[in-house]
Amino acid sequence: MTLPFLVILPLFGAFSMPIVSLLGKKLKEYWAVIISGATFAVAAKVFYTVWRNNEILLYTLGSDNPIGRGVDFPIRIVWEVDLFGALLALTITFVSFLAIVYSLGYMKHDTGLEKYYTLVLVLELGMLGVVITGDIFNFYVFLEIMSIASYALVAFRNDTWEGIEAGIKYMFVGSLASSFILLGIALLYGQYGTLTMSYLAIKIAENPTLVAKVALAFLIGGLLFKSGAVPVHMWLADAHPAAPSSISAMLSGLVIKAGGVYAIARIVFSIFNPGLHIYLRTFNAPSVNMDVIGWIIVFFACLTLLVGNAMAVVQTDMKRLFAFSSVGQIGYILLGIGIGTLAYGTKVGELALAGAIYHIVNHALIKALLFLVAGVVIHEVGTKNLNELSGLAKRMPLTTFSFTIGAAAIIGLPPLNGFASKWIIYESSAMYNPILAAVAVLGTVFSLAAYTKVLFTFLGKESERVRDVKEPEKSMMFPMLVLVVAITVMGLLPWQISDKIMIPAAKMLEQLNGEYILALLKFIGGA
Amino acid sequence: MNIVYLTLGLIAIYLYVSFASLLWEGIDRKLVARMQRRIGPPILQPFYDFLKLVSKESIIPRDANRLFEIAPILALASSIALLAYTPLGFEPLLATKGDVIVFIYLLGLIAFIRVMGAVSSGSPYAQIGAQREIIMLVSREVPMMLGLFAILWRLSKLGVEKPFSLGTLYQYNIWEIGTPLTVVGIFVLLLVFLLWLASEIEVGYFNIPEAETEVAEGPMAEYSGRHLALFKLSNALKEFASASLVVAIFFPWGISGHIGLTGVAAMVLDLIFHTLKVFAVLFVSMSVFRAITGRLRITQAVGMFWSRILPMSLIGVLLLIIDVLGVIS
Repeated sequence: MTLPFLVILPLFGAFSMPIVSLLGKKLKEYWAVIISGATFAVAAKVFYTVWRNNEILLYTLGSDNPIGRGVDFPIRIVWEVDLFGALLALTITFVSFLAIVYSLGYMKHDTGLEKYYTLVLVLELGMLGVVITGDIFNFYVFLEIMSIASYALVAFRNDTWEGIEAGIKYMFVGSLASSFILLGIALLYGQYGTLTMSYLAIKIAENPTLVAKVALAFLIGGLLFKSGAVPVHMWLADAHPAAPSSISAMLSGLVIKAGGVYAIARIVFSIFNPGLHIYLRTFNAPSVNMDVIGWIIVFFACLTLLVGNAMAVVQTDMKRLFAFSSVGQIGYILLGIGIGTLAYGTKVGELALAGAIYHIVNHALIKALLFLVAGVVIHEVGTKNLNELSGLAKRMPLTTFSFTIGAAAIIGLPPLNGFASKWIIYESSAMYNPILAAVAVLGTVFSLAAYTKVLFTFLGKESERVRDVKEPEKSMMFPMLVLVVAITVMGLLPWQISDKIMIPAAKMLEQLNGEYILALLKFIGGA
Repeated sequence: MNIVYLTLGLIAIYLYVSFASLLWEGIDRKLVARMQRRIGPPILQPFYDFLKLVSKESIIPRDANRLFEIAPILALASSIALLAYTPLGFEPLLATKGDVIVFIYLLGLIAFIRVMGAVSSGSPYAQIGAQREIIMLVSREVPMMLGLFAILWRLSKLGVEKPFSLGTLYQYNIWEIGTPLTVVGIFVLLLVFLLWLASEIEVGYFNIPEAETEVAEGPMAEYSGRHLALFKLSNALKEFASASLVVAIFFPWGISGHIGLTGVAAMVLDLIFHTLKVFAVLFVSMSVFRAITGRLRITQAVGMFWSRILPMSLIGVLLLIIDVLGVIS
């Protein structure tokens, strides 16, 4: 069983970091690289196992059976990994590994690096925990691990005013959101007396009370905060520019996905399964109307993708522009999830969900690349103001090339990976409701304008500021080129990836036959 | 084996279209000269121009970056790729369902690459030209896309295997529908497409980005020698492909069927006939338009697109839609 090592390894790495850093100056960096590389290998193994067997992995902590002795309900913490979770784990470990390699060069001039690497590994640990857990309180704990590590990392450069400001804002808003989530969990526990997600799903279906609906509202509200959906995206636009760029890459590529949209999808589809409640309603049994949740998610999705992308157009700070663009892209993912909820059980819903999952992975890679590029620019030129950065292309051709690939991919130009995922989302939303598709396309027009502006800045006439800059060192170049290769290769095989990985992942998340619940139920004799 | 034939076909088409489009440039210059009571250059003048440019030294400005040199190659590559999706009297080589989006994308990409090359040159003239080109690009594509999608949607109603492929234009003819509303709608759209064609190849009213007398050739200001030759060639290819689109939509008739030819001979005959139709369309939209109109200001051109041509396109599209929905029967 390789699954526990997904958490054991980063935990071990983080806790041994203070000791390792005593041994030598360079050692801690290599230690972080080794640990995150090994975690990536474990995640690849887990992903391959889940993908090949096409069934949900269930792991019980402390025993081989989640069911308590003498009772017939689960009492232990379980980890339940379906293809969606495994795919996210793979993405998280991949991007984290690259971000840590990138930090070797990028963080060289900072102090307190043993804390930095500890925090990065803790951040990775938190995200991995969120995506593999099947226990809702365990989910909360990992979510807090992730959030607290990211608060600390946003404010890591505590000698800059913006780091502290963004950190405080992020922490206050994030803690409030976390307390919403905890309140939701407490309500569910008080009502149903269990914390295991799949068992909770059964319990809620048996007796959907008002409390369950209130809890759902709290959970969705808190998680929309964490994913940076529009009325509550303001922390994101400050936190991403202020953090060190390797951290921005992880925040924007991973944290808002794992702690935000992944968790929303997990709660909507695994705890409150639309299919289950539609089934209940056909028998006139009390049920939760999941269409309402679907429309709420779609509403916030449309708002998010319009406001996020439109705000990106007017920015003059490069990292802020990327941060708003992240908000916009979260809108697409939420749109996919929302339509997946509304059109549950149809071809359209499945397609929308596959598009959302695909876009999560694609955006993680693309946005990581873009933030790494921004980091290189800040590191070499010392400013992220777009008005001063004109004409970088001559001195930094490889960086400009990486940026061009990233920008083209995020707009969704055909030979790159962003095209397929956005296309699936457009297609499914057009089939569901053409107005939603029109909104989605409008968002892309804004994002095209924003990135074209940055591209022209890179290409334009050389300004004084960039006269004697040069390409960064290899440890910063390498992760960018790896991401460029990944984006291009994924872009060349879009429909293969969609058919082989994303559609099965969407099917497993949809759990039309209640697979997520059955994976647990098979332990309860014969059910 | 199929791939080999496709590659050979693409190379053959590329060579043919390069020849035909440069030949048309020569004819166009001759015709315009005659309209202005000049003798004009010989018909083969564009070939001499091309050869001369190729043989000349290419000067790279000091402020330019690498993209300045790569852009002409990318532009030509996209133009050649565009030919694989262009209807040339027979189905495009790579016709699949939905290929119309690739066609529009590649057409836009060529213009965008020109702009990127211009921005990379570091010259303020080129920058201004590039800005104008982007503005024009944004304005002109909307009415065209609206019309094109509406027509392909209408044709897909007739039952085709590959909906939204430019190949369907040869399966069903848009005039065949024949109801009064469609005919009027198609005439309106024909006008839209002729104006779009003029702006796509930037002549007459729309010769704004390149405006020789104002901004010294605009995007092309800093290009010389080999690089300029590549751009000229890719522009000529794009011109031919855009006109081919108009011909394929509105005048898709072939003659090979009438005289009972099949196979390669039919393709060659259709290609030649198609070329003649392209020349005819370009004569209207390019030569005549260029000879009798002057340049607009950029604001006027944008205003014209959004307040005249887009509503025109909307009217044409609505007429088609009303006809299908059967509101007026």
